[in-house]
Amino acid sequence: MTTLSPDIDLLAQDVRRFVFRCAADTASVPQAPEIAKALGKPEPQIRAALHQLAAGRVLILAPNDGTIWAANPFCAVASGFRVEASGKRYWGICAWDALGVAAALHSDAVITAPCGDCGDGLTLEIRDGALQGGGNAVVHFAIPARHWWDNIGFT
Amino acid sequence: MLLFRDEEHVDRWCAARDMSPGALLDLPQAWRLARGWYESKLQPDWRRHTLAETEALFTSIGLTGDFWDLRS
Repeated sequence: MTTLSPDIDLLAQDVRRFVFRCAADTASVPQAPEIAKALGKPEPQIRAALHQLAAGRVLILAPNDGTIWAANPFCAVASGFRVEASGKRYWGICAWDALGVAAALHSDAVITAPCGDCGDGLTLEIRDGALQGGGNAVVHFAIPARHWWDNIGFT
Repeated sequence: MLLFRDEEHVDRWCAARDMSPGALLDLPQAWRLARGWYESKLQPDWRRHTLAETEALFTSIGLTGDFWDLRS
């Protein structure tokens, strides 16, 4: 991870822990104002920490306004990849992350997502650590692994 | 990474975009990948996987070959 300064580096770790814990506990990814308030730090410092975390590929910022798009596997906005777990509704930015929500939470989960081709809804269930359902469904990776971060939004 | 009903739907999706299929993971593979990648993400001392750890994860799931090569 790129280090901007020791203080920002330490703050980035606090921000990371808060963002992911909050996303898991509330199914809502906090943004800079909420993080700043919770950690008692100025918002510009929080934004700098978020940019450091994004540079380290810990989370993904929206390209235009710098808000958190995804604290992977938790997507900050509704998407086609819905995860119902622990009585809450989460979102993933892709099939991998939707499964990742269940993995990160260590929780049973029901995942619904459309077939990328026909749009029909597909349902996967995680129960006691095992994946069930889905029939012959497959996950397609269009981009070779070494190029995933060239354009993570497309990936 | 999109989910498809089956391989035929992947082929149709790729053909409509004049692109070659990439890599397909069956659901057990995808679940193992998700667990290996994300199950420690909420731990306070989490850190990114190293290159070697990522390669080991891919290999353990059977994800080998040029598509999964991170070093080229």
